[in-house]
Amino acid sequence: MAEPKAGLMTRFLKATEIDSRMLGMIAALAIIWIGFHIASGGVFLTPRNLWNLSVQTSSIAVMSTGMVLVIVTRHIDLSVGSVLGFVGMIMGVMQAELLTQWLGYNSGFTWWLTLAIGLLLGAAIGALHGYVIAYLGVPAFIVTLGGLLAWRGAAWWVTSGRTVAPMDDNFRLLGGGTTGAIGATWTWIIAAVICLFIIIAIVNGRRQRTRFNFPLRPLWAEAVLLLLGCGLALGAAVVANAYYWPKRVAERYAEAHGLLIPDGGLAISHGFAIPVLIALAVGAAMSFLARRTRFGRYVFSIGGNPEAASLAGVDTRKVTLKIFMLLGALCAISAAISTARLNAATNSLGQLDELYVIAAAVIGGTSLAGGVGTIAGAMLGAVVMQSLQSGMVLMGMDSPLQNIVVGIVLVFAVWVDTVYRRRAA
Amino acid sequence: MTTPLVEMKNISIAFGGIHAVEDVSIDLYPGEVVGLLGHNGAGKSTLIKILSGAYQRSAGEIWIDGQKAIIDNPRDAKAYGIETIYQTLALADNVDAAANLFLGRELLSRWGTLDDAAMEAATREVMGRLNPNFRRFKEPVKALSGGQRQSVAIARAILFNARILIMDEPTAALGPQETAQVAELIQQLKDQGIGIFLISHDIHDVFDLADRVSVMKNGRLVGHAPVDQVSKDEVLGMIILGKCPAGATPGSGAMPEESPESPVVLKTPV
Amino acid sequence: MKNVLGAAVAATLFSLSISTAIAEVTVGVSWSNFQEERWKTDEAAIKSALEALGATYLSADAQSSAAKQLTDVESLIANGADALIILAQDSDAIGPAVQAAVDEGIPVVGYDRLIENPAAFYLTFDNKEVGRLQAQAVFAAQPEGNYVFIKGSAADPNADFLHSGQLEVLQAALDSGAIKNVGEAYTDGWLPANAQRNMEQFLTANDNNIDAVVASNDGTAGGVIAALASQGLAGEVPVSGQDGDTAALNRVALGTQTVSVWKDARDLGKAAAEIAVKMAEGTAMSDIEGAVMFDGGPKGVTMNAVFLKPVPITRDNLNLVIDAGWVSKDVVCQGVAAGTVDVCD
Repeated sequence: MAEPKAGLMTRFLKATEIDSRMLGMIAALAIIWIGFHIASGGVFLTPRNLWNLSVQTSSIAVMSTGMVLVIVTRHIDLSVGSVLGFVGMIMGVMQAELLTQWLGYNSGFTWWLTLAIGLLLGAAIGALHGYVIAYLGVPAFIVTLGGLLAWRGAAWWVTSGRTVAPMDDNFRLLGGGTTGAIGATWTWIIAAVICLFIIIAIVNGRRQRTRFNFPLRPLWAEAVLLLLGCGLALGAAVVANAYYWPKRVAERYAEAHGLLIPDGGLAISHGFAIPVLIALAVGAAMSFLARRTRFGRYVFSIGGNPEAASLAGVDTRKVTLKIFMLLGALCAISAAISTARLNAATNSLGQLDELYVIAAAVIGGTSLAGGVGTIAGAMLGAVVMQSLQSGMVLMGMDSPLQNIVVGIVLVFAVWVDTVYRRRAA
Repeated sequence: MTTPLVEMKNISIAFGGIHAVEDVSIDLYPGEVVGLLGHNGAGKSTLIKILSGAYQRSAGEIWIDGQKAIIDNPRDAKAYGIETIYQTLALADNVDAAANLFLGRELLSRWGTLDDAAMEAATREVMGRLNPNFRRFKEPVKALSGGQRQSVAIARAILFNARILIMDEPTAALGPQETAQVAELIQQLKDQGIGIFLISHDIHDVFDLADRVSVMKNGRLVGHAPVDQVSKDEVLGMIILGKCPAGATPGSGAMPEESPESPVVLKTPV
Repeated sequence: MKNVLGAAVAATLFSLSISTAIAEVTVGVSWSNFQEERWKTDEAAIKSALEALGATYLSADAQSSAAKQLTDVESLIANGADALIILAQDSDAIGPAVQAAVDEGIPVVGYDRLIENPAAFYLTFDNKEVGRLQAQAVFAAQPEGNYVFIKGSAADPNADFLHSGQLEVLQAALDSGAIKNVGEAYTDGWLPANAQRNMEQFLTANDNNIDAVVASNDGTAGGVIAALASQGLAGEVPVSGQDGDTAALNRVALGTQTVSVWKDARDLGKAAAEIAVKMAEGTAMSDIEGAVMFDGGPKGVTMNAVFLKPVPITRDNLNLVIDAGWVSKDVVCQGVAAGTVDVCD
């Protein structure tokens, strides 16, 4: 009975050129979500929880996109959590103390100056790691293990362990929250733009294939892809817009703007959260970088066969340095999201994040043997990890138990992947 | 006499005190196939990797078209039109044929992005000539057979209008039919005036394809000779004993002709 | 020990500057590490208290190694320490070193962390009391409704001390149904970000119907308040904390945090110095002022102990921390609207 069904599935996958591994992950995620929804008594699959989940995932998801490239080139970065902590601390001091002295409290310049300095600092730290790894030949494991200790220590030094708070009001928007979301109208616009991009991509793909007389995907397959992509974007918009502002926030807003509160309360939509949009933008940019540029091509070929890449004239050391620099900058973005969300910079910020980031990449199908991995997979991996954690809290499981479950899932996911690859090979 | 396409003069290289290649000079003319022969470990591959930029020589000079060339890395070599088919093939297993063919020299679109369609089209064209049955353009080369992988490596070498081609054991992984195709290809390339270094330890192959042979032993050049001036047995003597026959020009590693009872011979169990 | 009498006389009769010249009591302090900010504060307090008493300060840093701490203690004894103050890296592993000191007749003060040896003296802030004060402040602000408990790290025994103190205060109300426990969670590694995540999930699960949060320290309170703020509830739901972090004191002034229980490390350091010197001078442990018998440790060993009282800092007594020089007024009052808090005006 399974035979004809499998045949149909295979035909469908072949025609649409959807990666079956990706489909497997999405299916696993669906099972996790539905399972938690039932177990938590119908709380998990609500707009509010999904919205929270998306915000909670952003910081790890951003870093996981860079970790993919690092792992693909057969390296590892254990320092991301500490770099996040250090850069976050610097950004915290920058805005809460230094810039405030010059520009005043909540100046319009503060947030982007802080962000720019954080990005530069993150990239510089990553470049330092990359230089030592690529040009001095110290293994990445050691360099970033050193970084794990050193940058955590540095984070402590900045303020001798003191927590810095509160953050600049504009900066805080990067962390989400009621004000850190773009509202219903813009959410629809962004979903529509994403839809438009999908259409352009499909049309462009067909044109390219026609130009060189390559076989085209059947039209029905294109239609399915379009419906899936657009459906996902618009569906996300519906969910984000179905999560309304908390009653008291809405009341205060109405008071401040002299609005009348209708019966049943004022329904103001959150819309997409800013950190989620940042993570999505980073994901799109990194996917583009990995698949459509020379740099990305080099990264993957180095991962497949470093000697071949170097014989083909690829400057493998320069590429390695760039990868670590990129990840450093991504850590800075995550640091901004995390500090903004917590509304404080603490020296412990990002502790253990390196493990979650690596786990997200690996669950998302990045092979530690190098050469294989996708950005989208890693981001999906981050969602899986966060879903597990959030869901277990909703169910009232305590943290030691949560860690046990997450640990088992990590090993299980990699085992399933190994089996899959062996079958496919 | 025309100018040699390549002249490698007095090349030496040492790894940690071991002289892998010592004072070797060889040359190559346009439209010529020079077979490079010798045992495993004789220094053939090392010598060739110096020319392709993978290794940096510790002494000696490389001249191309009668001009001194600077080759410090693979990119420099490619800039002189030197292409190499390595014994290991040097393919990135996890990406497809087109990505391997254009590795390091990707075609870009107007916006600076990879032009995958154009690269795939060029790949289809060149692979169509080499291996008309090849269809697996979308798969990573890991999934290909030994012969298919070999043809990808060859396609990469000839795609960019090479002037000097280095083939390190190009037929090792091939069946008889594919080997014949490669022989035919070498003939075509020769006719286009491309110079080819052919490395092999199969002496019959080399006699069929090469114009001249150069023989190496223990990192030194025993000598070189046009194939019609020496017999296969004589060449075997060069490879095994380092004895340079009458029809060959001796190199720095040739055994002295006059002393057949030298200790070297006595020690060699023939 | 030969100048015990002289030192005692000096400490009691002469002014500080003169006593410094005469006294020869040496107090050795073995630190577990200096990685955390607060031990520097403690060290400064001990140093200045010893100076005031005319005693000499000797110290060693075990750099978080229980093994190094053993040799540290031995070398402190060898260097002529008359009394030891030990911040144990590992309360069990330090046992042999403490015994060695006791055998030499050198009194030992277990500093902040329990060393279960009847010959040692135990000095700390009362962690259960911290928990009680947290619960009291929150309960006073919100005597009924849904409570959430954000506990500390499951790996830290203090987290459970705190929680049992909190429950002591709230048990009656929980039993009567006046308040309801709608969620409690340990906070991995005491990380604020984890506390925030847990709080968000509790808010989701209870549809925002949460009336009070008992958080175990200021870091986790910060995470909780960030989660409340995104629901517009910051300032409306009472939240507890401890440590007197500057950020937390600022939140107390702003009204988003109800209480930060403050353990002034300088009091602890000063008390340790004074007790060590007294014991070096021959005062019996049971005669130390404020000493009580304690047997609440894991092994149930009966020991002499002094428990310092922590101070709950609320909007009404913020002046305490400012007057004590713990934080400056402008840091505490940053962003506070005029007329809301007396101290800031």
